[in-house]
Amino acid sequence: MIELSHVSKRFGDVAAVDDISLHIEKGKFCALVGTSGCGKSTTLRMINRLIEHSDGEIILDGHPVAAYDPVKLRRRIGYVIQHTGLFPHWTVARNIGLVPRLLKWSSADVQAKVEELMSLLGLPVGEFAHKYPHQLSGGQAQRVGVARALAADPDILLMDEPFGALDPITREKLQDELARLQSQMHKTVVFVTHDMDEALRLADHLVVMRDGYIVQQGTPLSLLQHPNDPFVESLLGGLERGLKQAALTRVKDHMSPMGPTLPAQSRIPAAFSLLQGLSMMLRDHTDRLTVVDQHDVPVGELTLRKIVKEAQPEQGKVRES
Amino acid sequence: MSLLEALPRPQVSWRQWQPNSVLIFLACAMLAAIWLFDVVSVAPNRIVSGEGAGLIDAVGWLGALLVTSVIVTLVALALQPSRHGYQVALVGVLLLLLLMPFGLMVASNRLISGDTPGARLNMGMAYWCLLSFLLLCWVELRLRLVLLRRWTILLVLAVGLVWSLCATLGLEALALGQEFRARDAQFWRALREHITLVVVSVAISIGLGLSLTLLMRRYSKLQKSAFAILNFLQTIPSIALFGLMLGPLAWLAAQWPLLSQLGVSGIGWAPALIALVAYSLLPMVRNTYIALEQVSPDTLEAARGMGMRNSQRFWQVRLPLALPVLLEGVRITTVQAIGLTAVAALIGAGGLGSFIFQGLGQAAMDMVLLGALPILMLALMADAGLGALADVLRPRSDTARPGEIE
Repeated sequence: MIELSHVSKRFGDVAAVDDISLHIEKGKFCALVGTSGCGKSTTLRMINRLIEHSDGEIILDGHPVAAYDPVKLRRRIGYVIQHTGLFPHWTVARNIGLVPRLLKWSSADVQAKVEELMSLLGLPVGEFAHKYPHQLSGGQAQRVGVARALAADPDILLMDEPFGALDPITREKLQDELARLQSQMHKTVVFVTHDMDEALRLADHLVVMRDGYIVQQGTPLSLLQHPNDPFVESLLGGLERGLKQAALTRVKDHMSPMGPTLPAQSRIPAAFSLLQGLSMMLRDHTDRLTVVDQHDVPVGELTLRKIVKEAQPEQGKVRES
Repeated sequence: MSLLEALPRPQVSWRQWQPNSVLIFLACAMLAAIWLFDVVSVAPNRIVSGEGAGLIDAVGWLGALLVTSVIVTLVALALQPSRHGYQVALVGVLLLLLLMPFGLMVASNRLISGDTPGARLNMGMAYWCLLSFLLLCWVELRLRLVLLRRWTILLVLAVGLVWSLCATLGLEALALGQEFRARDAQFWRALREHITLVVVSVAISIGLGLSLTLLMRRYSKLQKSAFAILNFLQTIPSIALFGLMLGPLAWLAAQWPLLSQLGVSGIGWAPALIALVAYSLLPMVRNTYIALEQVSPDTLEAARGMGMRNSQRFWQVRLPLALPVLLEGVRITTVQAIGLTAVAALIGAGGLGSFIFQGLGQAAMDMVLLGALPILMLALMADAGLGALADVLRPRSDTARPGEIE
């Protein structure tokens, strides 16, 4: 659990972070979003004391971070940065094993952990263990960066625009993989990004920052439904906000029981997103889809009428009245 | 369409025809030198200046034809360069380098008759031109073929071996060899002194340079003044610096008998060592400073974020990543010290420079060469050796070979 209460950071007279309060539950994924220079990176780096905060209190598992030895604190917090920061003169295996070795694990333990993490992140040990960072593609290098951050089993993972320098396809792939890892490991993650789609995709808790303070925070859905500020709304994509919301909603949350009419031809798995459902309707020129479970057995149906009614409660009300 | 096809096609091949002008120039210069100037000269004794002999006089028609044809081949290869062609040219250059001492042996047999036992064979203008142009060809080919510096060491060693074998086995008449045989023990002692002075002064300047750099990084105010002083030291002419130290050191030795017992005095090794260290410090400190500063801030930040302590960060990350550039500084310093030590002979520090100054005094150019050539060899070998070491330590991405140039 991470708790920031009234935390500020001033460089001279300029406040980079101004009186922010933030509560991150254990095992939750929190994304800090904002334009560059909004203080999101500074906030992140105050948690592992790469930057010392000027005011307020940051509490980690019940103790203020100021009470920890900064070096020991950092060794128990995973840290991933944009340009990976891998050591160019070390092999992949040695890079990943850095923190366990700093913690004086036995070499057998280090090796076992390195191999475990490499297979977890899809880096075959035989192929990659002895490569040097310059021999890796951007995506592979960042996988190594994530593996290095996870090596000492930290409860907390800080990620500072980890996928910012990657091409869109690799970025999406790594986002999927991070989501998969998070669903297995349940780390407390603080993730800094300027990419709202990335944040919406990954986060349980979304924090929008501007000029050093928090504009709005909440679950991605609640922000999409009630942006309380034009800035938040523009970050959330303006007109595309509805589609983004649909991307976060599952088909099964909007399906209705099978009706008396013939089932529709087009079928969609219940675990797919509403956005995919809408896309399928557009593709197949229909306003009705049959929802199937993982064994392709029909379990309900999805209709455009119902989606439109439920997706934006306020708009639905306006139309009814 | 058919009209277009009927037109003569523009010849594009001549556009791609890019002869290697460097090699062509060097090869032509070699040809001109060996046919226009004296290849060797023969003198009846040490003082009388010799009588020159051209290429045909020296090595006969057959030898002249061999050398000329190899050089002409070089020109031909340079006109239409390719990777394969460069490799053949490299073999040609090596062949000429290896044949050169044999040429001297042939010349010695042809020109020196048995009844003038004191006769001395000198290498002439053409010979030196050929040697230096061949070395330039080697440099050019090394760049074109992207050879690593360790190959340069191998070359220097192989050529040196063949030359020394020839010199000991079949070249009694060679003036350089005669000078060497007359001063055998003296030569080895001078070489030892020279190397010792260089090694000790470089070792001291590495230690001093590293500590100075660390101080400068800690106290940034120190940086400006330290560089100013080092720059100033570098501008003093070396002979003046040696001279400047005469007085103070003599005084120190007079004050503390312990120092004079250690061998410190106004002349000798002590002032030479101090001057060498003073000169070595600037390149050393400058390279060390740059080496430590150029390490990527991302990498260092990551090291801090992972929980490395400052000392761990320095020894495990910053220093290893700085090492190649740092070694480059050691290389520059060493090569410079090898040259400067020659001047130190003037204040009685010994070394190979003593032959140069003695030879100049006696107008015996062979003796000058006896000092100068080994200094040149030492410098080349130190340069290649330390350069190769830096290549090995460089993070591998930098040594990755770019594709073929042509």
